[in-house]
Amino acid sequence: MKAALRHLNRNRRRTLLTLLAVLIPVYFLVFMFGFSNAVIADLFETATRMDIGHLQVRHVEKRGMGSALPLMQDADEVVRILDSMPAVAWHTVRLDLPALASSGERSQSIYVQGVVPEEIGPISNIANLVVDGSYLHQGSNGAVIGQELAEILDVGVGDEFVALSAHPDTGVGVLKVPVVGIYRAPMAEMGRTVVHVTLATARQLARNPEASTAVIARVRGVTGARDLSEIDAVVTDLQGRLPADLEALDWRELAPQLTGYLGIMTPALTLIAAVFFGLGALVVLNTLYLSVMERTRELGLVLSLGASRWRVIRMILGEAAIIAVAGAFYGALIGVVLIWVVEAFGGIPMPGSAGEFMRILGIRPALHMAIRWPQVILSAVAMAIVAVMAAWFPAHRASRLEPVEAMRYVE
Amino acid sequence: MSSNPLIRTEALRKTYVTEALETPALRGVDVELHEREFTAVAGPSGSGKSTLLHLLGGLDRPTEGEIYLEGTPMSGLSKDQLSRLRLTRIGFVFQAYNLIPVLTVLENTAFVLELQGVLKAERIQRARKILAELGIEEYAHQFPNRISGGQQQRVAVARAVVADPSIVLADEPTANLDTAMSLDLIDLMRRLNEQKGATFLFATHDGRLLDRVSRLITLVDGRIVHDEIQAADAGTRSV
Repeated sequence: MKAALRHLNRNRRRTLLTLLAVLIPVYFLVFMFGFSNAVIADLFETATRMDIGHLQVRHVEKRGMGSALPLMQDADEVVRILDSMPAVAWHTVRLDLPALASSGERSQSIYVQGVVPEEIGPISNIANLVVDGSYLHQGSNGAVIGQELAEILDVGVGDEFVALSAHPDTGVGVLKVPVVGIYRAPMAEMGRTVVHVTLATARQLARNPEASTAVIARVRGVTGARDLSEIDAVVTDLQGRLPADLEALDWRELAPQLTGYLGIMTPALTLIAAVFFGLGALVVLNTLYLSVMERTRELGLVLSLGASRWRVIRMILGEAAIIAVAGAFYGALIGVVLIWVVEAFGGIPMPGSAGEFMRILGIRPALHMAIRWPQVILSAVAMAIVAVMAAWFPAHRASRLEPVEAMRYVE
Repeated sequence: MSSNPLIRTEALRKTYVTEALETPALRGVDVELHEREFTAVAGPSGSGKSTLLHLLGGLDRPTEGEIYLEGTPMSGLSKDQLSRLRLTRIGFVFQAYNLIPVLTVLENTAFVLELQGVLKAERIQRARKILAELGIEEYAHQFPNRISGGQQQRVAVARAVVADPSIVLADEPTANLDTAMSLDLIDLMRRLNEQKGATFLFATHDGRLLDRVSRLITLVDGRIVHDEIQAADAGTRSV
């Protein structure tokens, strides 16, 4: 150990280069993991706070994208089941209907969301976005529409529009609805189409006093994407308690496009890690090979004195291990410190419209990097192992030297 | 010589082969070395002195012939077995690059013991003892580049004898030393030979050292041309 440290001290520049070859991939990976954790957390936060929740109970029938959701009649039973599950922190009943809104000669396709106003907060921020009039309250008979829809229909607070729904399960329903509030939507498409009414109003439109399309729930203790197992446990538990015609879907099934983004994160990070590890390994191999070449006479002497080939391999691998462990440790340390520094300054700010969108949704408009110690340890240990493995070739070459030839070696 | 030889060679030949030519270094050497001998192999450059020492020390293999170390033929030994043999039975002193630069004098001396797996306390104690015997204990914690060439060769001798080998092979150990240092080193080796009973065989082309040896083997063009026992009770044998 002492001799290995002295060897490394002999050519400090090369030792530093080798150290950096280990340190940089580790630091980069730790930072990348921190960044990807932030992106995953952001995707999860956005998905679960925009209508979807952690899970939903829906009718099992699938009607394809763009079609109206099938109606379920057992919302009260589902609510009773959810109330009996301590892991469920919150739930609400929803009735979503595609409809046509018209006023005078103007009309627009809309998506009516029948909500329980007092319960909707955890998955919708529309109540906080109202810029004219007020949001719904229990018993109110009206609609909260986006500024874009108000403009299309040329209506304001106090005006009425006609909602015409045509649901496959209930037929055509028509209702005259007064505008009680107008909200500023984070996206124009949402402002044109998403209309909030009370659950009772939506049931009137659907001509079915028991109808709902989903019971949405959030799971207790879930603070981010890393708590997926807790959501999975509730979904599994729930699945066993629901009537046969209902099913529990978690947020990944409800927002498959986000799951797709998450799905490419791991392979992308693995690829990046492989490239960095490969480059690091090449530098380690190269510098240790040079070191072996420079020390050919010395190694020849060691072999002449009777050192076994395995002993020579251990000498070289020992030096590599010292550099690998030090480089991996300091790389991880720098990565962690850098993440702490970024977080100390409020995270990575989201640019322009993305930041505004998150702010309107009530989400912090910044990516907050997170340190997961298993990822840090994995990055450091994996690179250290790769570096020692890369040292095998020069170590093996050193062990195969012929003592006499090695001692005659001229650089 | 009535006792069994420590080393015996039979028709030892070594030819270095390159793409361009074959260079015979030894052309049939038969020699016996006995315990407690203090032998010099003399001869001009290229006469085969170093080659003979390398073959006897198991650092290289002969092209033809056989070497017996304490009756055991060396040709049948694997590389690993030869390494083990060098580690346990043979001490080496080379002309240059003799010490490991990142180890102190004490660590260099104890290095062979470390390779043998001797426990640290014992190897430090044994290394200190031999350094004291050779009068260089004061340099124990110096690195090789901080001591003179003569002192470095003394350390090399200390390392060669610290593990009590059957024979010490020294390949031109005085080549880089001035006359006084050379004579001093040879006297030191002779003292170890007499006091500790260590067998020495060293190569040299320095005629000033030859009156200090008990036996002189002269090589010319890869052949022994003269083999003389110089002790008072021995005769002279010419080949």
